[in-house]
Amino acid sequence: MKKLFTFLFCLLGFVELKAQMPHDGIYMNKKLACGALIYGNSSWTNYWENGLKRDNPNIGRLTTQSVTAMIAYGIKRDLNVIAMIPYVKTDASQGNLMSQQGLQDAAVFIKAKSKTYDGITAHGVVGFSVPVTNYVPDFMPMSIGLGAKTLIVRGMLSYALPKNIYLNSSIAYQVRSQVKADRDAYLAGSKLYQTDMVAVPDAFDAALRLGYLKKDNQLELFAEHFSCIKGDDIRRNDMPFLTNDMTMTSVGIYGKFQPKSVGVNARLAYVVDGQNVGQSTTVSIGLLYLFKVK
Amino acid sequence: MLCLWILLGLVSCDKSVSETVIEPYAPAKVDEAAGSWKTFIVTNPTEVVVPALNSDAAYKKEVDSLKAIEITASQKAAVLYWGAGSVLRWNEIARELAARYNIPPAANAAGIYPVPDASNPLADPKFPFANPPYTARALAYLSVAQYDALVSAWKYKYQYNRPAPSVLDASIKPLLPVSTLPAYPSEDAVVAQASYVILLAMFPGEGPFLSAKLAEAKSVPIWAKTNVNSDVTAGANLGAAVAAKVIARAKTDGMSAANNQAIVPDLILHAKSLGFTTVWASQELPARPPMLPNYGAVKTWNFDRATLESIRPAIPYLPGSEAFNKDLAELQTINKSQTREQAAIANYWADGPGSYTPPGHWHRYACEAGIDAKYSEVRMARMLAYVGTALMDAGVACWETKYFYYSPRPQQFGLKTSVGLPNFPSYTSGHSTFSFAAATVLAALFPDRANTFMANAQQASDSRVYGLIHFRVDCTMGGKHGKAIGAFAVQKANADGAN
Repeated sequence: MKKLFTFLFCLLGFVELKAQMPHDGIYMNKKLACGALIYGNSSWTNYWENGLKRDNPNIGRLTTQSVTAMIAYGIKRDLNVIAMIPYVKTDASQGNLMSQQGLQDAAVFIKAKSKTYDGITAHGVVGFSVPVTNYVPDFMPMSIGLGAKTLIVRGMLSYALPKNIYLNSSIAYQVRSQVKADRDAYLAGSKLYQTDMVAVPDAFDAALRLGYLKKDNQLELFAEHFSCIKGDDIRRNDMPFLTNDMTMTSVGIYGKFQPKSVGVNARLAYVVDGQNVGQSTTVSIGLLYLFKVK
Repeated sequence: MLCLWILLGLVSCDKSVSETVIEPYAPAKVDEAAGSWKTFIVTNPTEVVVPALNSDAAYKKEVDSLKAIEITASQKAAVLYWGAGSVLRWNEIARELAARYNIPPAANAAGIYPVPDASNPLADPKFPFANPPYTARALAYLSVAQYDALVSAWKYKYQYNRPAPSVLDASIKPLLPVSTLPAYPSEDAVVAQASYVILLAMFPGEGPFLSAKLAEAKSVPIWAKTNVNSDVTAGANLGAAVAAKVIARAKTDGMSAANNQAIVPDLILHAKSLGFTTVWASQELPARPPMLPNYGAVKTWNFDRATLESIRPAIPYLPGSEAFNKDLAELQTINKSQTREQAAIANYWADGPGSYTPPGHWHRYACEAGIDAKYSEVRMARMLAYVGTALMDAGVACWETKYFYYSPRPQQFGLKTSVGLPNFPSYTSGHSTFSFAAATVLAALFPDRANTFMANAQQASDSRVYGLIHFRVDCTMGGKHGKAIGAFAVQKANADGAN
């Protein structure tokens, strides 16, 4: 379940909730930077054990909190770089599983866009994330992350509609490295692997966003889908594991208000359907600061 | 763009996990005298009759029939897989099954935990729940059946002295190393059939899976041209007959009453009479009945009931005493500031739900040591039989101790865990008892590696403190207990004629 969080936050969530996110259509002008500090809170009481939706009184509500430091910088007006690093903490409200916390995965994204034709702009994003601490990856759902190095390649089209309305669609593929687990044997599917190396399945995500953008103020509705390309399912009454085929569809709303150099953003997302993930509700609020780099 | 390819290289290097490949080998010694080694269940090695050989002419005809055999790539892969060792592979299959079945039942809507039903093994919850005591027992019977059947096979091999096909006819090119071991009956078929019988009894829902493994295992000696059909048939019949005798013991060893929950109130009264004011209570929601409260009454292998009671660890300190508070303080410190290394050790040895359990972990270590020493099949089975029976004895004696004292877990004093909390009393630690019992046997059989095995056992024992689910005294006393239990197996091994 923690994976769920990790992914939701890091790969999808963070991206979305920033002023200039790896997957929005907004760019910093040349030599302009935006720093952000974002607090996130994601939690669930129900999860999908394979396809079975259930609760677990020995977990209660699993909450993942995070504080992410992020910076976006305009190398050129159509080429931005974005870097971020989250500190993550997990807690279960019931049962006796120990809370985990620590710096998770640092990520860097490069985002570029084409010229605009008939209101349509194409964007390409490449990102890479790597764990920055030796956190435990295989104590799910309490682990703060999956421990995998991840490469994300995203393609995106944004459409400028009348009256400051925009539509943005994107699709991304995530290549994920093997992870070294603490254990030296594990089940994946019905096969017992006698090694400590675990293959975390690759994944893709797709999103559709409809929003209003005027100057630096923004309001957006979105739907996102995340799915591993393969993997196994959580066995009946078992714990989740790194090899699971996690799938989730979420909907949400995002807003940004930036009257001057200081601004705020907020995001709310809810998982409406999934498999091998928690049905989480995620809230985040960020403090943004725009500044010129000499 | 260059950047992108570098990044791709960093993450996408190799998506498939690679495991150690065990190559087929010729044994360092063929153990010609193994037919006279002392067995566990079978009273003498010719108790099961293996019929006399066909005529030489008939054998030659069978050998000639091997020449026409051409195998597919997947059959060749099967040859290389099984060629690493029949005892090894069936032990691995058993461990995989244990891992697949090692999940505690879920509570139903009424908050009741249904008991797995052997007559409906694939329903929810699946039968069995292959927890550590169950797995220790399954692996013990597997190894004993393999060993007893192989001793008998060796007896007949040297009685009948049938040369291997490639020895009789040099134009036969076997795909696996051939030793001087006589071919009749096929040791691979003996092990396959005996293992099949035991594992089907232990995992009754796995008939199709096990049948497929059996069919492949019995085909491999033909595909590899190391045996003919009459070797395989005789081996399979011998394996089945010996396994039936071993299963007869399993049916009457007391396991069917191991989950007798009716005795629990008396166990609690007994613990209170010993002075325990706080006794063990399930920390799960809803409260789960304790795991196998009567497993301590199951029949042991290497010592009798009076001995079991005489070596039971002494009563630990009682909650609230100074010694108790000292051990509690150690756990409280770890609860606040567990190091990454402590977490890693706790996780490495956790062997919790979805794993092959600590007995499985030690069987794996034992197999690896046997492979490194290039053990013959019969010596491998012998080694696993002593390790396996010591592990089962450790389980029985530890469970007897746990329910004798019914002592509380650290989580009843406000501690969390980084590995998951087992649902049975604390004193003594199962991991410590299992690990020191197995390590004691392995240290005696592989003296060069004794220090490593004992250090591993110590780490497994410590891991339960690092994972916060045992008090220190549970582990130290469990470890001592395990050493004593292992010593009984060693004593028996020293007298079986194999050394």
